[in-house]
Amino acid sequence: MTDSSSGAVLVVGGGISGLTAALEAAEVGKDVFLIEKNAFMGGRVSQLNQYFPKLCPPSCGLEIQFKRIRANRNIRMYNMTTVKAISGSAGDFEVTCTTAPRYVNNNCTCCGDCSAVCADECDNDFNFGMDKAKAISRPHDMAFPAKYVLNKEACSDDTLAAIKSACKMNAIETEMAEQEFTVNVDSIIWATGWVPYDVSKLTNLKPDSSSAIISNMQMERLAAPSGPTGGQILRPGDGKEPASFGFVQCAGSRDENHLEYCSYICCMATMKQITYIRERYPDAEIYVFYIDLRTPGKYEKFREKVSADEKVHFIKGKVADIQAEDDGGVTLIAENAMTGAKVNQKVDLCILATGMEPAAKAQAAALGLDIDSSGFIISNPEAGHISCGCAKKAADVVTSAQSATAAAMKAIQAGR
Amino acid sequence: MPGLQVLQNKLGPAFSGYTGKTNRYGREKMRVDPDLHFIKYMKSAGGDTLKKCFQCATCSVMCPLSTDENPFPRKQMVFAQWGMKEQLIADPEVLLCHNCGDCTAYCPRGAKPGDVLGSIRAYMYTHYGWPNGLAKMVSEPKMLPMTIALPAIIITLMLFISQMGSHDAWIPTVQGLKDHGFGSFFGHWDFKWLSKNVAFIDAIMLPAVGLAVFSLFKGVSNMWSAMEKRCDINPSFRPSAKQFVTEFLVPSVKEIIAHNRFRECTENADRVRGHRPLMYAFIGLAIVTAYSAFKQDVLGAFIPSMHGPLSLIDPFKILANVSAIAMIVGVGILWGNRAAAEEKNGVTPTYFDWFLLYEIMAVGVTGISAELTRLIGIPPLAYAVYYLHLVSILMLFLYLPYTKFAHLVYRTFAMAFERYRNSSFVK
Repeated sequence: MTDSSSGAVLVVGGGISGLTAALEAAEVGKDVFLIEKNAFMGGRVSQLNQYFPKLCPPSCGLEIQFKRIRANRNIRMYNMTTVKAISGSAGDFEVTCTTAPRYVNNNCTCCGDCSAVCADECDNDFNFGMDKAKAISRPHDMAFPAKYVLNKEACSDDTLAAIKSACKMNAIETEMAEQEFTVNVDSIIWATGWVPYDVSKLTNLKPDSSSAIISNMQMERLAAPSGPTGGQILRPGDGKEPASFGFVQCAGSRDENHLEYCSYICCMATMKQITYIRERYPDAEIYVFYIDLRTPGKYEKFREKVSADEKVHFIKGKVADIQAEDDGGVTLIAENAMTGAKVNQKVDLCILATGMEPAAKAQAAALGLDIDSSGFIISNPEAGHISCGCAKKAADVVTSAQSATAAAMKAIQAGR
Repeated sequence: MPGLQVLQNKLGPAFSGYTGKTNRYGREKMRVDPDLHFIKYMKSAGGDTLKKCFQCATCSVMCPLSTDENPFPRKQMVFAQWGMKEQLIADPEVLLCHNCGDCTAYCPRGAKPGDVLGSIRAYMYTHYGWPNGLAKMVSEPKMLPMTIALPAIIITLMLFISQMGSHDAWIPTVQGLKDHGFGSFFGHWDFKWLSKNVAFIDAIMLPAVGLAVFSLFKGVSNMWSAMEKRCDINPSFRPSAKQFVTEFLVPSVKEIIAHNRFRECTENADRVRGHRPLMYAFIGLAIVTAYSAFKQDVLGAFIPSMHGPLSLIDPFKILANVSAIAMIVGVGILWGNRAAAEEKNGVTPTYFDWFLLYEIMAVGVTGISAELTRLIGIPPLAYAVYYLHLVSILMLFLYLPYTKFAHLVYRTFAMAFERYRNSSFVK
């Protein structure tokens, strides 16, 4: 440790883990740079309808964190920002970051005048492409910081001119350029989180053959009040109210050809989503195809409650084939290991319970970080690199927050 | 424990492990005695990955041959892990598998169910093979020198006996080779009703074929009754021999010839291109052999000119040559296919699979070479190659019931059993 050491910490990723790590370090007096790739903080958690097992909305935890950040002068927060290069070593890192242009400055008051005149639309990534968003919009209702963001590529020149003149606050800067800056820090906390596994790789399940096949994260958006259907669970494509649901557990998980590990959360996510369905469609039949149900610790109670429901049918056997049907539904094909016979179960909506893939897999490898065979970042406090949350291993929100606090402790120790 | 429930549901009342007692969940307790030697054998014969299986049942769905009522190979994998030999060697599904590798390609754990089932089939042929000592020798890679030596010694010994008291040179002149072909390989005598050569060849091959037929008959009978017991079949009416042949056996053979099941496979669909010419080659060569035996042994007894090699334009000779080429091409395609599967899909190379490929290749190559060296007229070389040809043919017949070649009979009967199981006799 040199005397010039700033003691500062860089937190990469502003999801629940990054927010927690940044706050824990900042609240004991450390300077923290918190960078986030998206235009908003909160990461995957902000896309959820409810947390398990308490079934409260994500605003619960996120709002508290946002309030703590606003109240803390030690945290400098950068959105749309990624790490470009790292030099130096533990105790004396110089990190080059780049901030993509938002085209909207801090004058924005979220009045919505620009959006009202915007004629162009783009895929809404926040809702996994299940609807369209205006090319200039707030990323989502709860977005923090509360600022609009412009997708310039999606806009015609006319649209750009229109939204610019509509803004009374002079907040739109269409000529904003990418910015680069460097920070000097003692340690780096990697809280880069996860992406849902790409279902198109599951070729035997033919996810593109029917709009009745969705992922579990899409299900969260369908059930969320801020989602594309306002919280109604309707089949994408034809908007039908499904009378039956099929959950395909371990879709691409525990599989050498895809993700070789168990993502820990998908079984509980399915149990949770069953409660969404039971609330909205009390008569719907629900089928869950599984290899093993992994609901460890206190989650067992949740599983027991869901399992006792007579509308929920558990079938031990992995779905390995899905056939699209003419009426818009799909048939799930599996072998029921309890009876030893094949099952062909027709359902109106099929949810693939996909796992978590480390989001920074390629970036971490390019930056020379220690990663395991699956791309998770191995924590190495001696080298100044500390990983937490789903960047470190597939985990639920509680475990992520715990590991974020632990990461903050390590970072504090690294800076004396 | 779900595994136990699975077994209880599928093992049927014939399973001897039931204890008659119930556990605290009210389920019948059972006792499993794993056959550790059996597990060890499977692991050594290509099934070394079997313990990786975690029973997700992806394989049973991916398998294009697996049916709704009797899906496989998920069940076979748990039986294999638990060393339940008696269940597996009486399991028709093990033989119904055509080893296309679709299950292995999609297996999330690299458990390679296709290879495990192959190792069980290898075990079955040894288990049902009679005499067991011979079956064991043939299945054991360490015994390969003995496996080759046995037919070589038999041919050499017979050759030695045939030459006793003969003053003529064994290797003929160029003209002699041209006139008689290999018709004097075992010498010549003046007994009109049976030539010396035919007598010796019959003396070598007929006992070998007889042994193979007897062994297969015994093996298939045992397998059939074990399958009936396992599937708990006690029909009040059994099919007559004629019904058995017309309703179960012939439709199965027709299906085999058409290669319908082979063509269901997706990962390894190319194998049909190799297996079909090979199968037609064997049929063609069987026809030529039957004709040749009739001509030499029966007609030859009355018309001496019937002895000697067939003319190259004789339709049967044309069939023989086309078949020989088809054999080499077919086995060559299968050879390349298997090598590619091992390279690309991680299929485990096994003695069981490669022995048959080498053996058939040897028969084809020595056969063609013997014919070519004869036509070119190099007597010593022609005789040496012909000797090797006889050794490889004897190997093929003698070891038929114990090598992978046995699938020819065992799988055919397993397919017949499947029809029987689904017929009105049983249901």
